[in-house]
Amino acid sequence: MQITKREFLAATAALALAGSIRPANAATAINYWHHFTSQSEMAGLLKIIELFGKAHPGVTVTQESIPNSEYMAKVSSAVVAGGRPDTGMVIAERFADLTAMGALTDITKRVNAWKGRANLPENRWTGMSQDGAVYAVPAYAFVDWMYYRKDYFEEAGLAGPPKTLDEFVTACRKLTNPAKGRYAFGMRGGAGAFKYVIDMIESFGSPIVKNGQAAIDKAAAVEAVSFYSSLFLKEKVVPPSTPNDSYRQIMEGFRTGQTAMIWHHTGSLIEISAALKAGEQFATAPMPAGPKAHIARVAYAGNGIMKDDNVDAAWDWISFWGETDAAIALLEATGYFPASTAALEDRRIKSNPVYQAASKTLEFGRLPNSFVGAAGWSENVVNPAFQSVLTGQLTPVQAVDRMIEGLEAALR
Amino acid sequence: MATLSINRIRKSYGALDVLHGIDVDLEDGGFLVLLGPSGCGKSTLLNIIAGLDEPSAGDIAIAGRSVTALPPKDRNIAMVFQSYALYPTMSVERNIGFGLEMRGVPEQQRKAEIRKAAEMLQIGHLLDRLPANLSGGQRQRVAMGRAIVRNPDLFLFDEPLSNLDAKLRVEMRTEIKRLHERLGTSIVYVTHDQIEAMTLATKVAVMKGGYVQQLADPRTIYERPANMFVAGFIGSPAMNFIRGKLLSDSAGARFTSEGVIVSLGGPGGANGTRECVLGVRPEELKVVEMEDASLEGVIDVVEPTGPDTMVTAIVGNQAVIARAEPRFQGRRGDQIRFRVDPSSINLFDAKTEARIDVGDASLIRPIHENGFS
Amino acid sequence: MRRDHMKSVLPRGPITLLGNLSETRYWVYLLLFPSLILLLLVVAYPTLYGFVISVREMRLTRPGLNGWVGMKHYVAMMSDRVFWISLKNTAIWVTAAIAIEVTLGFVAAVALNRNLPGTKLFGVLILLPYFLPNVVAGHMWALLLDPRLGVINDLLVRIGILSTYKAWFADPATALAATILVEAWHGFPFFALLFLAGLKGIPEDLYKAAAVDGAGPVRQFRLITVPMLKTVIAAAVILRVISLVNSPDLLLVLTGGGPGNATQVLSLYAFQTAYREFNFGYAGALSVVMFILLMLFATIYIRLTHVTKE
Repeated sequence: MQITKREFLAATAALALAGSIRPANAATAINYWHHFTSQSEMAGLLKIIELFGKAHPGVTVTQESIPNSEYMAKVSSAVVAGGRPDTGMVIAERFADLTAMGALTDITKRVNAWKGRANLPENRWTGMSQDGAVYAVPAYAFVDWMYYRKDYFEEAGLAGPPKTLDEFVTACRKLTNPAKGRYAFGMRGGAGAFKYVIDMIESFGSPIVKNGQAAIDKAAAVEAVSFYSSLFLKEKVVPPSTPNDSYRQIMEGFRTGQTAMIWHHTGSLIEISAALKAGEQFATAPMPAGPKAHIARVAYAGNGIMKDDNVDAAWDWISFWGETDAAIALLEATGYFPASTAALEDRRIKSNPVYQAASKTLEFGRLPNSFVGAAGWSENVVNPAFQSVLTGQLTPVQAVDRMIEGLEAALR
Repeated sequence: MATLSINRIRKSYGALDVLHGIDVDLEDGGFLVLLGPSGCGKSTLLNIIAGLDEPSAGDIAIAGRSVTALPPKDRNIAMVFQSYALYPTMSVERNIGFGLEMRGVPEQQRKAEIRKAAEMLQIGHLLDRLPANLSGGQRQRVAMGRAIVRNPDLFLFDEPLSNLDAKLRVEMRTEIKRLHERLGTSIVYVTHDQIEAMTLATKVAVMKGGYVQQLADPRTIYERPANMFVAGFIGSPAMNFIRGKLLSDSAGARFTSEGVIVSLGGPGGANGTRECVLGVRPEELKVVEMEDASLEGVIDVVEPTGPDTMVTAIVGNQAVIARAEPRFQGRRGDQIRFRVDPSSINLFDAKTEARIDVGDASLIRPIHENGFS
Repeated sequence: MRRDHMKSVLPRGPITLLGNLSETRYWVYLLLFPSLILLLLVVAYPTLYGFVISVREMRLTRPGLNGWVGMKHYVAMMSDRVFWISLKNTAIWVTAAIAIEVTLGFVAAVALNRNLPGTKLFGVLILLPYFLPNVVAGHMWALLLDPRLGVINDLLVRIGILSTYKAWFADPATALAATILVEAWHGFPFFALLFLAGLKGIPEDLYKAAAVDGAGPVRQFRLITVPMLKTVIAAAVILRVISLVNSPDLLLVLTGGGPGNATQVLSLYAFQTAYREFNFGYAGALSVVMFILLMLFATIYIRLTHVTKE
């Protein structure tokens, strides 16, 4: 048989057309960007997708995992150059930037008409709203707390975890023994250090932003930075590698027994429990209170709609995360704290002593600072300025000056 | 006194023997050509003489002293390479004087030597140029200049003309011969070109497979090759080889093959016969009419070259080529006859391919020995 | 069959026209056309767009501020402390990394050019670092140099050079040097490969001539090897400078520019400005400055090395 070129082309075109028509007859497909990367996070996500598939057979979800550090770069590129996903994960710290660049769709009407709203009290929505409009459905929360080595504390004759920063320093001195390679506190000085620097500044009584204006109280901030950096510079109760230590390093330090305390949030519980025995080797406690304020963050994370093409299916998907089944699935896989009050009543939380510190923190915890430019200022100004204090290149006064200067520029 | 003595030089790379005990002496002022096809070991031998390669065994002596243990620079030799090997960043002048510079010759004297050598090679006007801006012939002259200024005991030439075009090659060949006669320094010269060997050498070592096949003056190599390899390698067109039998009886010794009878005259010694190969150079095949013909055949190809006409003929079932008169009139298919002067022929043993000296008493073996019936 | 026959008879078929066209000088332009379009799309357009946004206000988080601002970003840059630190660090980073890479590359190439037994395998091994993506290499070295678990710290303590484990990336005095070493380790096979190719192209006779003339290994290296490799060296250095100036990935993984901007370089600064502050206008201006500096460097360098002559 001989096929002419024209016949061949026609056949190819027909096949291609047939291929492109087929999906239209099948379920609505939406995609979802998130920054879950660990094995437990992926297991939780896949479980939620499976549950969602059963509840909404007409919608298929394609998930795409983006490393946390790349997430905003990818989203902002998509906003500028096109290629937005239907839906995406939204964490509280990034909410302001995401709404400012117009990455999220206003879903107020749908939220108000949603029955699942009853399980999510008003404070869950604060971090997902702006000027009265809601842009994302809360799904889970990261509650800041402290992990400490119970066995080290007992060994050092300490009755319990420190409740204030004063007690914290006292405990630190007792727990540190450089000869044994042991340090009291795994301070984060590398990427992400800004988080606790800002917490310290607020603990010492200085606000960050008020009514959209820079509001740092210089004296209080200097005091805070001096105190926090003294743990490294003067007290030497943190590892010498502190200026470059970020999440990975402080985790390794704690898991391998180099450090006795670290500050992080509920999200790392599974990882630490895998290395150390809960209740025997390690326990959790609320963050120590500062002289002026008791600061610990409760950061709700949720999901928003980023593209209007399949908005109904997208809504089904993001609201599903707020329902109890999904929250429990995620809790089981990752230990992430549910946003839904219904899920919080689950016995896995009620009966687990480790979670008591988190439940207590929920009573006083604050939302993270959320203003446009917060991420840039935190990472590009606060981080290097604080590192420079640790490495002796700047005094706390100079560092605070830079932070104020940078904050003013960011808000301008 | 010999300028160069090569004594029992062996070279092997692992299990592979490249040179199997080479012995060559070169007299003072002589011109030794190492001739052979690629892979025969001639370049390895040259590198060993230069000290660029180490022999596995044996000894090299230059100007009466053993240099086997000395590095190249201490052997008082100068070398010219096929690729010219000029230093690309240096001017012609510095290239020529580089060996002197390395030996700490004062600049004044160096300049004078360079000028002298450059004049001799007619490259005095090129001294400021870089090698990249020279033609092939000019580069070759610079390379020779670099050797000459050193005034060494021995010049080594490694296929120096191979990269030149045909016309330049002839020109430079003459130049080298003139240079040798003028300087009187001994030369070892490696080439695969038999014309260069014939024109330049006072002594030729024909090499193959790591052995010297024959070491002799060019005339001898040409007229009395030691074996079929040498015979075939030297001369263009190559020597004709005709397979046949050597017969000896009361009528005398003669070589016969289909369409060939060459009487070798003289008393034939013992009666007998022997398988052998007749070697005859194309110019020794004289076209004749009827009488005295040694070979009879049919013309296959006629190729006029100008000074000669090359005639290929089929004799029996073997092709021979003859150098005929320029005005030769024969045509393809014509009958042709050649006469051969018995004194100009070579005979080789069919099996060993070694030369058989005509008139040698041991020429003919008894019949029963070679099973002839 | 019949159609084919017709085609060969009729001189005006499309194939014939194409054939005729291929005989003209327009053919060359026709063949260049697709790659030209591609170049315009993926190189020229983004470059021009970069120039354009560098004179605009473009902050994703402030959609209202969009508009022309002229040279504002460039003026701001002159008084931007971090810009000057980054510029200085970029110069140190590139110069030191290239110096080490050229040296190591040369040594490796010379060794590989010896054709000794085992050099083939060694040749593959030496190239391995280059096959690793920068990010992988970064994480690997972060672990090797880790202040808690690092093998290198352990070795240095064991042989007595260090008394305790050192946090290489936490000390501004060692952070840049440590990252330079990692970059050099990662990049030297590039030079080794190019130098090896260059060395193979140098005629053996040159070294023989030099040996006969009495030049030792050092002189042979200086008078033959270096000049013969000049073009290769120049090309390799330019390519490597461009890639070093433009790729912040290793620093992003190892230090994120810290501690306290000690390892901040221009490319990383531009990246962070764009993707942490979403200030594409200022990031664009930083990139334009990098672009101009690279162009200047390449032009001056090519002039100095005379590689375009001959």
